[in-house]
Parts: sequence; structure tokens; C-alpha cells
Amino acid sequence: MRVIKLSKENLFPFLEVISEKTGLWAPVRKPNSGHVFKEIDDFAQIDLDYTRTILPPKKIFLPPSFNMFKASKNNYEEDFSHVSPKILFGIHPCDIHGLLIMDRFYSYVFDDPYYSKARDNTLILGHSCWPDENCLCKSTNTHIVEEGYDLFFTDLKDSYLVWIGSSKGDDLIRVKAELFDENIAEKDIQNFIQWREERDEAFQTEINFSAMPDLMELKYNDTLWEKLGDACLACGSCTNVCPTCNCYNVHDKPALGEDSSQIVRCWDACTLENYSEVAGGENFRKKRSDRLKLWYTHKLQAYISKYGKPSCVGCGRCIATCPVDINVKTVAHTLDGDKVDSFWNRFHEEVRK
Amino acid sequence: MSVEKNELNPNNPFLPEPARIVRMYPLTDDVKFFQVRIADMEKALAFKYCVGQFAMLSVLGAGEAPFSISSTPSRPGLLEFCIRKAGTVTEALFKLKENDLIGIRGPYGNGFPVEKIKGKDVLIVMGGLGVAPLRSVLLYCLDNRDQFRRVILLHGAKKPSEMIFREEFLDLKQREDLECYLAVDEDDTKEWKENVGVVTTLFPKINDINPENTFSLVCGPPVMYKFVLKELVKLNIPKDQILMTLERRMKCGVGKCGHCAIDYIYTCLDGPVFTYWDIIHMRELI
Amino acid sequence: MNQEKLKIGIYELTGCAGDALLILDCEKELIDIFNAVDIQSFLMAKSDNIEGELDVALVEGSVTTEKEIEELKDIRKRAKLVVALGLCATVGGIQARFGDREEWEENYKKVYGDIDMTHTRPVQSKPIDEYIEVDYYLPGCPIEKEQFLNFFTRFLKGNPPEKSQNPVCVTCKYNENDCLLKKGVLCLGPVTSDGCGSICINHNLPCIGCWGPLDVANRTAEFYLLQEKGYDVEEIKKKMANFSGTKIAEFFKKVGKEKR
Repeated sequence: MRVIKLSKENLFPFLEVISEKTGLWAPVRKPNSGHVFKEIDDFAQIDLDYTRTILPPKKIFLPPSFNMFKASKNNYEEDFSHVSPKILFGIHPCDIHGLLIMDRFYSYVFDDPYYSKARDNTLILGHSCWPDENCLCKSTNTHIVEEGYDLFFTDLKDSYLVWIGSSKGDDLIRVKAELFDENIAEKDIQNFIQWREERDEAFQTEINFSAMPDLMELKYNDTLWEKLGDACLACGSCTNVCPTCNCYNVHDKPALGEDSSQIVRCWDACTLENYSEVAGGENFRKKRSDRLKLWYTHKLQAYISKYGKPSCVGCGRCIATCPVDINVKTVAHTLDGDKVDSFWNRFHEEVRK
Repeated sequence: MSVEKNELNPNNPFLPEPARIVRMYPLTDDVKFFQVRIADMEKALAFKYCVGQFAMLSVLGAGEAPFSISSTPSRPGLLEFCIRKAGTVTEALFKLKENDLIGIRGPYGNGFPVEKIKGKDVLIVMGGLGVAPLRSVLLYCLDNRDQFRRVILLHGAKKPSEMIFREEFLDLKQREDLECYLAVDEDDTKEWKENVGVVTTLFPKINDINPENTFSLVCGPPVMYKFVLKELVKLNIPKDQILMTLERRMKCGVGKCGHCAIDYIYTCLDGPVFTYWDIIHMRELI
Repeated sequence: MNQEKLKIGIYELTGCAGDALLILDCEKELIDIFNAVDIQSFLMAKSDNIEGELDVALVEGSVTTEKEIEELKDIRKRAKLVVALGLCATVGGIQARFGDREEWEENYKKVYGDIDMTHTRPVQSKPIDEYIEVDYYLPGCPIEKEQFLNFFTRFLKGNPPEKSQNPVCVTCKYNENDCLLKKGVLCLGPVTSDGCGSICINHNLPCIGCWGPLDVANRTAEFYLLQEKGYDVEEIKKKMANFSGTKIAEFFKKVGKEKR
């Protein structure tokens, strides 16, 4: 790993050069709404002062809906039109960890070419961030990154320290090497240490993830799940905004004038009513509480048991999104024995009880 | 993870391969038999699978669904499926005719651990459409009869007319190297010469089970499992030698779409064959 | 297709005719539609209509007169399959929001006085499944092109349409909108059928529920959440009732009674 320096005024000139032939995606603020990753046509749109985008970067690799192939009776024509060379700039450590989990998932046993082709065509330019009250990445140990990026920019007020994480990242630097400074001064190192200490102290929320697999097991039949199920609106938002949720559905959309179909792949969510319906109409997770239990088994138990770390990357999107406060924070804290302030808790106390 | 990758299109496991329906005929009122050959002859002959695996079949305009392979790899070239009409894809399959084209992907799933079962007694218990995956095992055992010790088959159906492959099984009773017992819950024909009663009533007919040396393979409707498992445990067959194959909704078959997830198990990769221990250990399996 | 073309009839009862209009608005596909099926009756599009046996009848609008009841029953007799097209046919429309018979009669008197209707007698607005059996429902106000074409094409090729039970929130998140409910806005996204493309929320306006109530929705939680956000019980009920027609009458009977 090599670290170099870039003064702030050189950032846009650098981005301009490297995005000449490649689409640049970066965080942008939507009017009246939060931030989103968007293809940039004007650098002034880029807003690096953001905590989390509404949807995680998974949408760039596997859009909510895309064509997998065109099917006719005796021929299948692959469609990779969602894949194009991209540079994803401004992605935070939690989301880089999300991609690392996706990488493992989509290459496990069978390689998913729709993901891997898009991934291979995208350069990851990470950016440091500052936690708000919903950031859990220190607890998930995803507030720092050691892999999964081509370049990583740490913002030290006047300049960036730029980590070069891959050979492709190194190539990018060489396109306009004169913009960078190879010499890191002692003061830069001091600044970095200070930034890191202050950032680490800025976290306001802590979750004991290592306790979760056992607690999930012990509280499998806890009334908590019924309380959550009672309040859950089954809107699917927690799933859609989660950087590590990957479920999808496939639709056969026949063409009107000819004997062919578009085979369309679109995001699905285990928290939605239809998810566990089998042929013939039987639904074996009809209850919202059962569906939530599956979701939390995946986030708080399964992955930890299998790989020693949660599949939650601590981005806080479920906290920022769920209108009834069913999220990793309230659920984990409740499992850990705390009484949390949440709509689902109040709903149970005031209405259901 | 024991999944052996033999996909037809290694660069894109989601891409089906055209296959032709060679034969199709009804087995019961709502179950049809399909014999299918992959249109590309080279691929048809290269298609390798093991007993207990499944394939994804698709009908243009209707969609795709998983189906157990009912034929045995010991008879290559043709693939067979027993399919019950249950949803959009199966309804579309039922409307097709011989010589029509469908799409096929696979084979997927872990299948039965045949190598472990070799040299042991095999006790197959099936009910209803449980025949679909277990016929594959049965035919495999019969084709390689010298590799297995006792082969015992218990098969139950509601009525004689609902017994899938009824004639095939009645013929099998003639074989001396197979202990074959058939039962129907209710005989509405008055011509049924075999047993009447649920499939568990057949257990007393099996003599001298050597539990340590027996593998039991079970598949049937959910109600059947509870009672059959009780009998098998009574026979002292170790829980990890009781194997069951389960059905779940799947959209991909390759561990990506998430629909068959149970706890952190994907039925399509880690199953569809599970041991009784897996079932006790993981909630939601049955 | 080697068999004979499917015979289709498109009918409009009481409503704005927006769904029938939407079919005609499928400009690019219109020739393919008319080529693929035999449109026997479609008052908005043609005058040589034949009222005979049908394979499929697409019925738009709610039932508001005795004459319409007769028409509808006749369509059912002639058609192998009946599809409810749009909000009014599926739930009864805005005109069915006064679920209570007495309230309806009172309102009717207020507007029309004691006029004697000679042409036909009006009845309280109801969705078509109050009178006949319906095979498929296409919600929407109006329906969407893609939804209609997908239904039509699947159907044409002999396959049933794919049923969706998603709320508006699903598409709303795909479109990357902040949750308005979370911000305290009276948004009906979670209790409303998806399909509109979350068009209102995309423009920072809350969902008013115009695609009709989602039958699997958790309306009780939505109701109390809105109350907690400071909305008045009557206001929430009014908003929820606007596009729900007769479909969630049971909910209105029960809601509020759970409380201690």
C-alpha cells in the first residue's frame, strides 16, 4: 500500500482527467431529499459532505430492475447493457465493506456474471467520513478499510491523503501524477492521527455484535418478534436500503409482436408479503414477525457464525429509513436487554397490550 | 459444500439451454411425466448429474421453476421429471406437446451422498409426489444393484389412482432383489391387492433392520414426515443416516436469489437433501 | 398464434374513462394490440361494436345505476373472464367513499333533491365484484401502460398475470426518495398498491392512496403511527377512505377500538 498527498484544489482537475472516457458516479444531494449516487455531468453537483446515500452503491452494480437475457424458443441472448465502465467516487468505508460482502456472496460456488462484470468495470474511489448518531460502523469494525478500493481519500481539511489500493488505482494516479505529492510530511501524519482519534471518539452508538448469534438463538421465541411484526409496515425499505441485502425476483415479460420474452431481474425483499409464497399460492412466512426474524437472522447471526463478522456493515440506513423504528440498533439493543425508545415499543405498550 | 458444478453454460449459470420434450403423458389426474432431451446433442450427452439433484425448467412467456430430476444418471441422454400442476409454470408445461421446446438449467443442489450409501442397506420411504426425487435413487440402486446391500421401498399414496408410477412399482414387486411394499390410504377401486393404510403401516413388514448399516431416504408431503421420522427413530437409524429432500421456492438455483433461504442455509446449494439432524438443528426446515 | 384470435370487450361504467383512454394511449403498441386480438366492443375507440360471446371483458368504472348492474351481469354471462380495470372497478372509486348507506342517501338528496330519475335509478357506488365474480384485478388511477401491456401480453400467450402485493414504498425506494412518513408527513405509501411509479413522492408530495388499498397492508400500525405524528383521527380516516371505496370498511369499524 502506498500513500500520497493531493491538495484539495487538485481534486476536480484529477477527477476531470480520469473521467474523460469513463462515467463518474458520486454523491449528489437530491432536492428536498437525501443524497444519492448519480452519474456526474457537472462537478459542482458533487457533495462530499454527506453521511449516507438513500440507496447503497449496490444499485450501480445490480440496478433495481434490469434485463438478464432475451429468450425465444430456441435461443437465449445475454444482455449486459447495465454494465459500462464506471468510476465510483466518494464511497464510504461501510459501503466498501458492503461490496466486499457482495463480492464473496456473488462468487460463492457459482459466479454471477451480472454482478462480477459490472464490478470488474468499476473503479472504487473511497472517501473518509464523519459519523452521525446512527452510524454503527465502529461496532461492526467497518469504519476502516484495508481492501476493496482502488484509491481511498482521507479528508484532512486542506488536503487529502490518498491510499493506493490496487494496480488500477496506481494507473489512475499516473494519468496525472504531477497533481500529487509523494512526500508526506511529519505534520500530515500528525494530522491524520489526530483526525482518526477524533473520528473514533465521535461515534455515539455501540452494539455488541459478537453477542448477537447467541442472543438470537436464545431469544428465537421471544415476544420481541411479535411486537416487531405488529408494527412492521412490510414496506421492504430496510431490505432495499441495506448494502448487503441481495434477494431478487425474476419476471418473464413477453414481447407483444413476437415470440420472445425479456427475462427481467428485479430486487426483492424478504420482508415483503409475497416473498415466501410457493407455487400454488402457499406462503410459509405469512407472518411479518417470521419474515423479520429471517432478516435479523441473516444480519445478526448467520454471517457472524459463518465468517466471524456480521453482514451488517453499520451504515445506519435501516435506522434512517424505517418509519416504525425497526432497525439494527433498536433490535440489537433489545436483544441485549435494553429498553429502547421506538414506535414499535410504544405501539405495543399503548395499543396492543 | 459438496456442490459439483456441471452447469450447461459455465459462463452464465442463469442462461437456459433449449431442450425438447421427447415424451409426456399423465401419471395421475394432476401429475404428468416429462421426458426431455437437451437439443444440443453434445451437451445432452455431457450433462452429468447425481441422484437427488434438480434442474430449472422454463417455458417461454410463463417463467421458470425448479424440478427434481426423476431419471437416473446411470441412463444418460434423457432427463425425466414428474410434475404436478401447481402454478403458472407447471400449468404452462402441461399445455405443451411432445416435440415442443423448453429451457433447462442445471443440475443444481447437493443430491444424495451416493458414495456414502454404497455398501449399505437402503430404505426408501416415499409418499405422493415424493416419488419425483426418490425414483432417481431407486433406479440408480437397481441399475447398480451389486453396490448396495438390501434395497427396501415403502411407497404410499392416497388412492390407487393417485399412486404415481403405480404399474412400474407393481412390476418391481416381482424382483427378488428388492423389498417393495405399497400402500394406499383408501381403496376406492376395490381391486387393490396391496396394503390399505398410511405408509407407516408398512414398517412392521420390514424384518431385521440393521440400523447402523442403513441409510433411509425420505420424501413426501409435510404431514408424512412427522410419522415416518418417528418410525425411523424407533428403528434406531442414526439421525445423520436419515436423509430427506425438501422443496422450496427458488428463482435461481445457484444461491443468489435468496428465496430458498432458511436460517443461513440456501436450500439450492446446501440442500435439497438434508439429514434429520439438519432438520432438528435448523428451524423452519419442515 | 394459430388458433382464433381472442375476443375482447372493453367496457366503461361510472368513472372518468381514464383506463380505456390509457389503452388507446399505448400508441406504439396499438397496432400490435389490435392485430393480436379481436376487439369486439370498445365504445371509446370504435362504433361497429358487437355484443356477443367474449373471451375476456375488461371493465372499467364502478357500478352506480340499476342499468349498469344489468349491463355488468350481461357482460359476465357473455365473457369467459372478467378483468376489473382501474380503481373504480376494483374498489368502487372515490364515489364509493361514503360506505354508509344512510350517509350516501343524505348526500344524494343534498345534491339532487327529489328529482325522479326516469332513465335509470341510481344506486350507491360499488366495485364490480359486489355484483359479479371477477377473475383478475388491475388497480390504478389510471392504470399504467407497462402494467397493462404486461398483463395483456402474458394473457395473450396463455399465462396468468403475475400478482404483486407490494406497497408503493418498494418503487419509492428504488426511486431514492426519503421516507415522507419518517419525516412526519401523512403519506399512504405503505398501505397502497404499488404500480404508479411512486410519482407523487418523486415530486415531494405524499401518497394519497389513489391505486387503492393494498389488501395485505398493516393499516393499524400506519393509523397509530400517523396519530403519533400528530394527525387527527378523523383526518387520517378521511385520507384513508378517499380511494379505498368499499374495501376496508371492516378496518374502519375496528380501528380505534384496540386502545385501552
